[in-house]
Amino acid sequence: MIGVGKAKQYANVLDKPLSRGRQEVSLSAFAFLFSELVQYNQTQVDNIAELERRLEDAGYAVGARVLELLCHREKGNRRETRLLGILSFIHSTVWKVLFGKVADSLEKGTEHEDEYMISEKELLVNRFISVPKDMGAFNCGAFVAGIVRGVLENAGFPAVVTAHFVPIEGQQRPRTTILIKFAEEVLQREARFG
Amino acid sequence: MIVCVAVVGHQNNPLYLQSFTEADDALKLHHVVHCSLDVIDERVNNPKRNAPALNETFLGLLYPTENYKVYGYLTNTKVKFIMVTTDLDVKDADARNFFRKFHAAYVDAVSNPFHVPGKKIASRSFGARVSTIVKSFGSGTTA
Repeated sequence: MIGVGKAKQYANVLDKPLSRGRQEVSLSAFAFLFSELVQYNQTQVDNIAELERRLEDAGYAVGARVLELLCHREKGNRRETRLLGILSFIHSTVWKVLFGKVADSLEKGTEHEDEYMISEKELLVNRFISVPKDMGAFNCGAFVAGIVRGVLENAGFPAVVTAHFVPIEGQQRPRTTILIKFAEEVLQREARFG
Repeated sequence: MIVCVAVVGHQNNPLYLQSFTEADDALKLHHVVHCSLDVIDERVNNPKRNAPALNETFLGLLYPTENYKVYGYLTNTKVKFIMVTTDLDVKDADARNFFRKFHAAYVDAVSNPFHVPGKKIASRSFGARVSTIVKSFGSGTTA
């Protein structure tokens, strides 16, 4: 989990409490590492779409591992077989482990039956990032979209996941929406389950 | 005694297979593991009323042969763990406990950033850890 607060320092290792407690990674250390990831990928691509795809691929590898880890740790010998079940697992459990809090909202798309949205007022990976004007609608949230896709695909819910900025009136920074569009087979299976 | 353990990917591709027997019956055990994949597919896709719940990871006894009993476990990522044992009176709790430890070892192995998901597990520490878990099976010790 990426923590915003300072972790308590212990001079002596024997003073550390035995319980696992909140395991946090320094936010500034994460921001620095993520910045390097973005900058490195920037040198390898010619356009914004390719950069987003590379960030998404990096996130996918994280998502696949996070799913395996959390299902062993949190799920209590249960496999997730339902659409809403896996979405709420991402919205609550995965988000809490990665970002220290539950996602701001999980909504169903109004126009399409196969679309769901996870919204964040301030996505942690975007906290210290301001996108230059010449990079258009580039969103570093593509990394988080990749994590979500990694979790969904490996759990048997193939989907196209994208990150978008949504401007909010009266606020300088837009909110980030992770848009999830499920494959047809997922909806058919869900309909069979009833 | 456990004579064979296997990890099989979601496309039924073998990720890890290890036999723990002196005799030269590795091929026979591979065959037993291979046959159990059909049973797992049947269990998951057409669950019976008296079978474990549809979304239960522990699949229980898959099928017995005259020499072996085969147990299965299916993770969220559709990776299958298979255990072949010569014990004819295995407690469900022991089998569950074994698979929990086995799953923990697998999670650690795939969390390695250099491991490519879907490829065979080549980690020596994973192999050693599995051997320890197998040795402690049924003895009530933790690995």
